[in-house]
Amino acid sequence: MAGSEEVNLIESKTVVPLNTWVLISNFKLAYNLLRRPDGSFNRHLAEFLDRKVPANANPVNGVFSFDVIIDRQTNMLSRVYRPANAGPPPSITDLQNPVDGEIVPVIVFFHGGSFAHSSANSAIYDTLCRRLVGLCGAVVVSVNYRRAPENRYPCAYDDGWAVLNWVNSSSWLKSKKDSKVHIFLAGDSSGGNIVHNVALKAVESGIDVLGNILLNPMFGGTERTESEKRLDGKYFVTVRDRDWYWRAFLPEGEDREHPACSPFGPRSKSLEGLSFPKSLVVVAGLDLIQDWQLKYAEGLKKAGQDVKLLYLEQATIGFYLLPNNNHFHTVMDEIAAFVNAECQ
Amino acid sequence: MKRGHGETWDPPPASRSGEGPSMADKKKVADDNNNNNMDDELLAVLGYKVRSSEMAEVAQKLEQLEMVLSNDDVGSTVLNDTVHYNPSDLSTWVESMLSELNNPASSDLDPTRSCVDRSEYDLRAIPGLSAFPKVEEVFDEEASSKRIRLGSWCESAGESTRSVVVVDSQETGVRLVHALVACAEAIQQENLNLADALVKRVGTLAASQAGAMGKVATYFAQALARRIYRDYTAETDVTVGSSLEEVLQMHFYDSCPYLKFAHFTANQAILEAVATARRVHVIDLGLNQGMQWPALMQALALRPGGPPSFRLTGIGPPQKENSDSLQQLGWKLAQFAQNMGVEFEFKGLAAESLSDLEPEMFETRPDSETLVVNSVFELHRLLARSGSIEKLLNTVKAVKPSIITVVEQEANHNGIVFLDRFNEALHYYSSLFDSLEDSYSLPSQDRVMSEVYLGRQILNVVAAEGSDRVERHETVAQWRIRMKSAGFDPVHLGSSAFKQASMLLSLYATGDGYRVEENDGCLMIGWQTRPLITTSAWKLAGGGESRR
Repeated sequence: MAGSEEVNLIESKTVVPLNTWVLISNFKLAYNLLRRPDGSFNRHLAEFLDRKVPANANPVNGVFSFDVIIDRQTNMLSRVYRPANAGPPPSITDLQNPVDGEIVPVIVFFHGGSFAHSSANSAIYDTLCRRLVGLCGAVVVSVNYRRAPENRYPCAYDDGWAVLNWVNSSSWLKSKKDSKVHIFLAGDSSGGNIVHNVALKAVESGIDVLGNILLNPMFGGTERTESEKRLDGKYFVTVRDRDWYWRAFLPEGEDREHPACSPFGPRSKSLEGLSFPKSLVVVAGLDLIQDWQLKYAEGLKKAGQDVKLLYLEQATIGFYLLPNNNHFHTVMDEIAAFVNAECQ
Repeated sequence: MKRGHGETWDPPPASRSGEGPSMADKKKVADDNNNNNMDDELLAVLGYKVRSSEMAEVAQKLEQLEMVLSNDDVGSTVLNDTVHYNPSDLSTWVESMLSELNNPASSDLDPTRSCVDRSEYDLRAIPGLSAFPKVEEVFDEEASSKRIRLGSWCESAGESTRSVVVVDSQETGVRLVHALVACAEAIQQENLNLADALVKRVGTLAASQAGAMGKVATYFAQALARRIYRDYTAETDVTVGSSLEEVLQMHFYDSCPYLKFAHFTANQAILEAVATARRVHVIDLGLNQGMQWPALMQALALRPGGPPSFRLTGIGPPQKENSDSLQQLGWKLAQFAQNMGVEFEFKGLAAESLSDLEPEMFETRPDSETLVVNSVFELHRLLARSGSIEKLLNTVKAVKPSIITVVEQEANHNGIVFLDRFNEALHYYSSLFDSLEDSYSLPSQDRVMSEVYLGRQILNVVAAEGSDRVERHETVAQWRIRMKSAGFDPVHLGSSAFKQASMLLSLYATGDGYRVEENDGCLMIGWQTRPLITTSAWKLAGGGESRR
């Protein structure tokens, strides 16, 4: 066993810059400690280890942020990121000034972490959201959804839905052109999964979502796909840990055919005929769950939906966390183009 | 193929043109980083401090650790129980785990290896908590389906971070805040007529504003009015002022978890520092009602092998004639100690200012005692007079304590520009009042008195100047710089203290917005994502024994 572990470590080191390798290996190590074999999660240690940053109403690199308690009863919190105007920093009363533009995209963002890790104020996601603001000229609303295993399906989806409603009805987020909020959903890993499910609900309820952006979205199923077998343990992720997170998120007793895990599996509803938002699906070629992600994109296509698949052959998970590789820039460009296409 | 961490690993797609940094640029950055002893910039943004020159070494240690852990599950279990420190310092963190796995701490044999989490601190010893039933539930981590906790990690002192949490409801009172800020601006511009008109407007708006915002605004309006009319007078009778202050602080202690957290985390650091001491001497720079010490004594009493002797030197304000509240407090604590079976000695020291203290006054016994200095909300007051903080820190150094525990408000209320101080304070106290508002089950007298307690701070921050302005709070980033230049090194609080502090907070089920977080070895408690109080620990730089 030790021998193959060594090979795996060496392999993953050849495909990412060293500091990326250190970063993702650090997460891998920490996450291994936090997942207990009995299905419980060391939440205290998780919160202790997670590197967080405060919101900052003083603009940094043209972006400022603030936190909003959307629902006092449930402490439902989101972090809002906005482009800064020239001039003095926004005062506390300026934070929710109406957006300034004919068409201003609002991206509702769901951070990753396999449903169990990270928060809206985790440093890695605060950084990513700030980038999206500049990239797309957008307001970004990062949802601090409830996590597994303490809060299983459908809590994360419910929280996403609550924030989508709040965004949709916030007058200060309405674009001048048509007095409507121009909404996109975006997320990585479990966040990508949440995007799909919140979009489903939006379609059913008549809320207009202009586009879905899924970065390495987390999907699965009961069978072991070829990519899972081929890439197991080779690039930071194992099938075993994937299984753990599904067991933690899905209702007790459920298996991975559950539609939350497998949106185009035997138990899910068809999307045919629905006006589902157009999707940008980004798949990393060294992600072991890529077969599920490709199946997702394929499923959308077969159901007559608009989907663009971006397959990055040599990318691993987390490539979008550091701007030190070409995949990062490729994806950022695609996201910008995807969002801006609606804003002509 | 040469490996620099700025390089990319695929040939760029042919269609790309000039987007993003070129290969040459990235390589240059990589080379620069390797040549300097600088932290990797990209990781620093994400909260990790790794020197570029050490990157390969850290990677190697990570690999080693993975090897060891992949062999069985035992390693993982061991590491779950160990105490972790300062995860931002990746190199040290990984190293400590490696040495933990190679030399497992034997908890009974060697108590100096404070790596094993014994969780022996009995939360029930904390005054005020005995009224809360269901203490056992605290230890079940998975019990709650509560909202997840957020914490935040503050930037370095160089840039100011304005952390704002907005509650999205009718309560926000935008017009009210507008008027408050406008009034402060008018004062900043020395347009006192306008300021006067505005402050009256604020008063009117505040009166009809429900909730925390109305209360905060009222206190700020009163403070602004006093500033406009230059009507701030410090209480001339120090004894009256300070006994009122103590009473108010008691209510603040009872009504919300901030002070309990402060005492608790400071005590955790103290317990670790005195783990092998047979005689412990604590100098409390602000004894107040001594609420911090019963719990510490109880924890000491529970030590395997029996408690050390405990000597407490409590500093308080000058005493009124014919009264010695310090000594009376000493008697009460002695009684408690006796019940605990802890050998106890007490001395009260009255001082008008902490800078009046001299090392000889403490009568330390360096050959037999392990010395601790504890300060809760005391240090910032010394910033009101030039030279005071330096004098005190020199006195502290002179008595050579093993550890200094410091609790301070996490805010910069000491900026030079009035308007900046005002804005900072408005955010800070809004969060504090907000959190008090949430504690529905409390008797209202506690809450009202807590608000009065905080209102006095607001008055001082906004209306006082010069040596009268004693509420000169500074952030932990600022204190780090001060302590470092005064000759102190940080002592890190770890995951065990963090966990227990979190469990302490979970006893306050109604106030679900409290958060604990770790920041570069310090622990902070905050409301929602806004840190409000920070506990840090220090030791003399260089020399002395290091615990980790």
